[in-house]
Order: sequence, then C-alpha cells, then structure tokens
Amino acid sequence: MTRLEDIAHRHDEASALLTEGSRVPAGTPILELKGLQKNYGYVQALKPATITFLAGEIHAIVGENGAGKSTLIKLLTGVITRTAGEVLWCGHPVALSTPNEAIARGINAVHQEVVLCPHLSVAANLFLGDEVERHGLMRKRQMERMAQSVLDDLGFYLPAAADLGSLTIGQQQLVATARAAMRGTQFLIFDEPTAYLTRQESAQLFKLIRRLQSEGVTIVYISHRMEEVFELADRVSVLRDGTHVGTRAIGETNESELIALMINRSIEQIYHKEDIPIGAPILEARGLSGPGFEDISLTVRAGEIVGLYGLIGAGRSEFALGLYGRHPLSAGEVHWMGRKVKIRNERDAMELGIALAPESRRDQGLCLNLPIGLNINLPVFGRLSRGPVIGRAEEAANADRQIRDLAIKTPSRRVPASSMSGGNQQKIVIGKWLSHGAKLFIFDEPTVGVDVGTKAEIYRLFAKLLKEGAGIILISSYLPEVYELADRLHVFRGGRLVGSHDFHAATHEDVLGEAIGV
Amino acid sequence: MTITTTESPAAAPRRGMNILFSLTLIGLLLALWIALGIGTASFWTPLNISNLLRQGAMTAILAVGQTFVIITAGIDLSVGAIVGFSTVILAWLLQAGVPLWIAIALTLLMGVAIGTFHGFGIVRMGLPPFIITLATLTSLRGVGLLITNGSTISITNEGFTNFARADFLGIPSLFWMVILIAVPAYIFLHLSRWGRYLFAVGSNSEAARLSGVNVNRTIYTAYILSATCAAFVGVLLASRIGIGNATQAEGWELQAIASTVIGGTSLFGAVGSVHGPLIGAFILATINNGANLLNVNSFWQRIITGLLIIIIVYFDQLRRRGSR
Repeated sequence: MTRLEDIAHRHDEASALLTEGSRVPAGTPILELKGLQKNYGYVQALKPATITFLAGEIHAIVGENGAGKSTLIKLLTGVITRTAGEVLWCGHPVALSTPNEAIARGINAVHQEVVLCPHLSVAANLFLGDEVERHGLMRKRQMERMAQSVLDDLGFYLPAAADLGSLTIGQQQLVATARAAMRGTQFLIFDEPTAYLTRQESAQLFKLIRRLQSEGVTIVYISHRMEEVFELADRVSVLRDGTHVGTRAIGETNESELIALMINRSIEQIYHKEDIPIGAPILEARGLSGPGFEDISLTVRAGEIVGLYGLIGAGRSEFALGLYGRHPLSAGEVHWMGRKVKIRNERDAMELGIALAPESRRDQGLCLNLPIGLNINLPVFGRLSRGPVIGRAEEAANADRQIRDLAIKTPSRRVPASSMSGGNQQKIVIGKWLSHGAKLFIFDEPTVGVDVGTKAEIYRLFAKLLKEGAGIILISSYLPEVYELADRLHVFRGGRLVGSHDFHAATHEDVLGEAIGV
Repeated sequence: MTITTTESPAAAPRRGMNILFSLTLIGLLLALWIALGIGTASFWTPLNISNLLRQGAMTAILAVGQTFVIITAGIDLSVGAIVGFSTVILAWLLQAGVPLWIAIALTLLMGVAIGTFHGFGIVRMGLPPFIITLATLTSLRGVGLLITNGSTISITNEGFTNFARADFLGIPSLFWMVILIAVPAYIFLHLSRWGRYLFAVGSNSEAARLSGVNVNRTIYTAYILSATCAAFVGVLLASRIGIGNATQAEGWELQAIASTVIGGTSLFGAVGSVHGPLIGAFILATINNGANLLNVNSFWQRIITGLLIIIIVYFDQLRRRGSR
C-alpha cells in the first residue's frame, strides 16, 4: 500500500468510526423535558424543569455550584431516575432509567472527571466494550491503528498505544470526547470540560465540538465560564437553586443578564455584620508547620471571626486539621488563653475547647447512615453517660434541643443523616459542637451546597457564638463570604500565609491577587 | 448536587423497620420449629430441644463477638481457629496440672492477646482485617498442631467435662452461657457509649475521629471481644468433647459470619444488633438439626444455608432500598 493510499484508507476508516449524525432534522426538538423533577429524600435537587433541546444546536447550561446541573446530567444519562415529569426523545416518551438505555438512544456525556481506565491504552479505552475481535481474540494492532486514525483525523496528535494514565487530564478528556464521538452519539453532554484544560487543549476541544455540531450532533455544554458560553452556544438555559429560571437565544442576551439570573442574593442582602466587642486572645498560633502548611502565625480573640481565604489546596484545611491535632505539627507553638499547650490528638483539642466543622460533611463531618441524634451526640456521649450506660432521656433531650435550636428540618432524631439536605446536614455538624460547648470554632467551608436561607441562619449563629465570647476561624473559598464576615482576613497560598488584612482594609482584587499569586 | 430544603411529611422512623426485621426472623424460626414439629415425631422431644440449644449456643456466642467486628466494617476470620486452639491450650494446661479456673482464665487471656494482636495489625501495621485474621486462622491451626503433635490431648477433669452435659433449671448449661454473654453484650452494644462508637467507626471512622472518638481503641475493643468470645467457646467445646484438638471447629468462622449476616448485620458496617445474630445462629442450628431428623443428606445442609443467606440478605437489601 502506498503512503497516499494508506492515508486515504485511514481517513475512510476514521470517518466510518466517527458519528453518523442525527436522524431528526436540524432545528426540530430532539429531546424535550417536561416538568422533569428529582428529589433526594426531603431534598428537591431539581424542581420541575421544562427545557427543549433542538437537533444540531449547542445548548449551554449555566448555574452556580449546586444549582442542579449535575442532577440534570445524571437524569439525562440515566444514572439516576426522575421523581416526576416526562422526557420525549424524538417526540416519543422514554424512560431513560439506565445508563445503557441512554447510550443506546445515542445520549452520551463527557464528564469533568474522566471515567475511563487509566491502566489501559488509549486505543483500548476508545474501544472499551466494543472491541474488534476475530475468532474471539482481540485485534490489538488493528484497534490501535484504527484508534490512531481517529485521533489524527480529529487533530489530537495523541499516541493511541500509550497508557491513558500517562496523558494529562486535558488529553484524557479529549480521548473521552473521541470515545463518545465514535459511538454514534446524537446527543453529547459536556460537563465543565475545560476546567482542567490548557488554552490550546480547549481550542482543540471547541473545534471538535463544532465539527460534531456540523455533523448534526446536539451538544449540551455545561459551564460557568461566560466567555465560552458566548463563543460556542446557540442557546443558553440558566439554573439556580434547582430551578430552571430561563432559556435565551445567545443573540438576545448578554453576560450581565445571565449573571443576574444565575446568582443568589449577595451576602450583604442576607446578613449585616454586627458590632461585637473583641476581647482577649483565645488562641495564638506561632510559626506552625505541618503536612501541607508552613510557618503560620495568627491570633484568634474572643468575639472575632478570623477568615482564611485561598484557592483549593492552599493549605487552609490542612492548617485547621493540624491545629485540631489530626496531623502532627512539625514546628511551632500553640498558646491557649495565654498558656502554652500541646495538642497531640483530636481529644486534646476538644478538651481545650476547640471545635472543628470539617470541610467535607460526607467524608469527615457525618456518619451518614446513622441517625441524626447519634451524630449530634457523638462528641458528648461521655457526658450523657452514667457509668457505662448512656442516659436515654439525656441522649434524646440533647439531640432534640439541637434539632429545635438550629431548626433542623427532620421528622425525628432517628432519621439517618443521609436523608437530609446539605444545609440541614451542616446544621447537624454544627449541632455536634454546640452541645459540646467550645471556645474556638473552626468552620471549614460551612456554606458549600447550602441554600440561601440556611446560609443566613449560619451567619446569625456565628454572631450568637461571638456574643457568647467564642472566637471563630472561618475558612471559605467564596471571597464575598470571608470578606464581609471576617474581622481579620488571612490569605493562604501554597501552604503559606501571604497576606493579612483587617476588615475591608483590602479590596477584593488585592485579596484574590494574593491568593492566585500575581 | 443542588440542595434546597423542603418541608416534607414525616417518614417512618428506622427503629420501626428494625423491629419488623427482628420479628420476621423470629417468625422464620418459629415457622421452622412448627414445620419440623409437624414433619417429624422427634423434634419436640426434650432430648432434641436441649440438643438443638447446645448446637446453637456455641455458634451464637461466636456470632455475637463477630457482630462487634462487623459493625466496625471489619471481619474476623480467625474465630474458628481460636476455638480449636483454645481447646488445645486448655487441655494442655490441665494436663500440666494447672488448676481448672486458672487454666480457663489463661485460655481467655490468650483470646484477649490474639484480639490485641489483630488490633495491632490493623491499627499500627495498616493491614486489612481480612488479611490479618486470615493469617491468624492458618497459623493458629499450625501452632495447635505443633503443640499436640497432630494428635489430641484428653481432658480427665470430670467436673469440667460434665458441665457441657449438665442442665440448670431444665435448660442446658451451654444455653445459659449464651445468656451470660448476650446480656452484657446487649448492654455494651445498645446501651453504652462504647457501642455507639463501634457504629460510628463503622459508618465513618474519620468523622468519628474528628468527633473525639478514640478510633484505634474502638477497633482494638472489637477484635479483643471477638477473639475472647471465641476463646470462651473453645472452653465450652473442650468441656463438650472432653479433648483438646487443633482441628476442631473447622469452618465455624463461616457459621458465625452467616449467623451475623442472617441476623441483619451489614458487612459494610454500622448496621447490626446483638439479638439478630443470636436468632440467626439458632435458625442455622434448627436447619442442621431438622435436616438430621429428616434424614436429609448433610451436604444439603450446607447448600440450604447458602441459599438462606442469599434470600435473607436480598430481602434485607430490598427493605433498605424501600425505606430510602
């Protein structure tokens, strides 16, 4: 075979492998959602949404974290089943109850986290579940050749024989996209695909998306990057707090309108900082170092909120865990109420009067499949026991008091914590520490995945704790939150303290600049 | 995921479901007894009933110990080997002229030591529970065979060997031993904070740790209790068979795990009770007993036990999914 013939042959093969396009004429509805709804226990993750996707369009979906985007994708790809509502595919009602059904209909998704096998080659991943065989044996060479021609045809310049795990996340994402494109996909969902991509990789991806569109594939593009939405999309739908708040043609809207649709009320609208007198130092950290943080010095006084801001992985949570005795400190001193102390483990920290509401409710904060009451009482069972036996009345009374005081919306303290919404779960974590009674509260990302009403309640609770003479360390990646709440704001970068500011002494831009390092 | 709070009507509390499950198990046990009473002439004879209680007693005690471990999301594969090894140690000590009570105490202490070793392997060496207890299973059998040189040691203390055959208030002494273990076990697991810590560690050990639970100590406790229960069963078995033999109690760990699982304990941890495994152990004992009475090939007993595990755990899964 000559080189030219070879190239021609390979091009045919690639075209044959790639998608065949839609059976529905462009511009007519391919997928219609009618009152689509999803509840998790008591939580409405997606309120009845009615959205129509037109064949061959690029339809962007935007919304803040926790707006319901992931829920929508999981519904469309059959990972979860809807609570109510109707889905029409090419005009016919469909169940979409399993991932296989979605794939069989031509609905595919490319996820932010690549869900492929890192120990297999790129080619093996592309053909996974669809291997080329002869007499029951895999045709490895042929698959690699075909995979290479697809990758070349898409202009990706990736080696088909390399292990997937040896590629960058961005390259893996391109492989995942190629895989979806090879599967006769008619409806392809991208879930924040550019989060880990370089500019060049993003450009390659956009080229591929446009090519798929030109072949009749309908694209759903989920992102919160406005510039990408305006570059790519034909239409855009906005989600907020699980509600579909509107769909616009891209030419009839602008960035500020979308942002206004997307965002929740700002901090100032739900909370006003109170003037609380600041008292004596509760905790002084002097040059603390440990796993993930180095040479951190800061002071927390009674009645003040100390904010720790930084990007994810900047060392704030690690510092909190180190202070709390979860990980050993390698250097530095901790002074508690003016006295030098040694915190060897969590129980030492608790005994001093430190409470930690950790970053991840699921992994660190709660025993999800156990009752709410047990979770609330976990730190204080010692106090609730007489001898070896727990006082049942005290146990019930303590749990019920926290449920009442924090307005945790549950029918009973016996309900497992997993059935609660994010906001109520956060209240359970907080309730644990209120009954323990601490002097220093560390709140690590307390309002992630929490609805507006609960956010306001949590802020009011901060004020109450401060008035009672406690000090608070507030860790947040949401700048307006620490900016408006903290009496003193420390900025972390790469495990170090890179800036410290009194309340409103620096601008948002200054703080963000320090955190990013520009 | 999006989160919004909604006011929802009260769901059925979980406790109600647990009672329902326990009642189902008791119902199954009673149904077996009634069916065997009708199907065989000899089931409801005093001799057979006390035989049944003796058979079930030892598995029941093992299952209670196993439950503590499984609630922490672990597993103890060594209990059968510990039972066999304990009969050897006890017989050996008695042969050496050690007084009975001291010999029993030393055997139980050896159980504590083995459990401590398991805790050490898991907490300090970071070994998976499956591996460390599997290693103990095989090596304890080996040590026992070395001590006895592959044979058996007879126990000549008649007072001791009569104990397992004795009755008290018309109930076999071995069954009294179940009550002796079950009552403090119930208090420990369901009424004390240490029991709560077992559940918390099994559900999410990191959350438990950050809430001030001494996770390492909790894990040590679970494995020590399991191994000590097994050593205690070894003492009872030695009394029953009158010998020390390292190959005794082959496969009892699986009987214990099966009883625990039939009794509603989740192998994923954080779900379990004391009464469930007790009922589970007697369901298994009844099946074995009934199969003997009905002259069913004993190989079938194993198959029936397997099917029963699948059916009960499957229905339990359905129930849990339904309650979501």
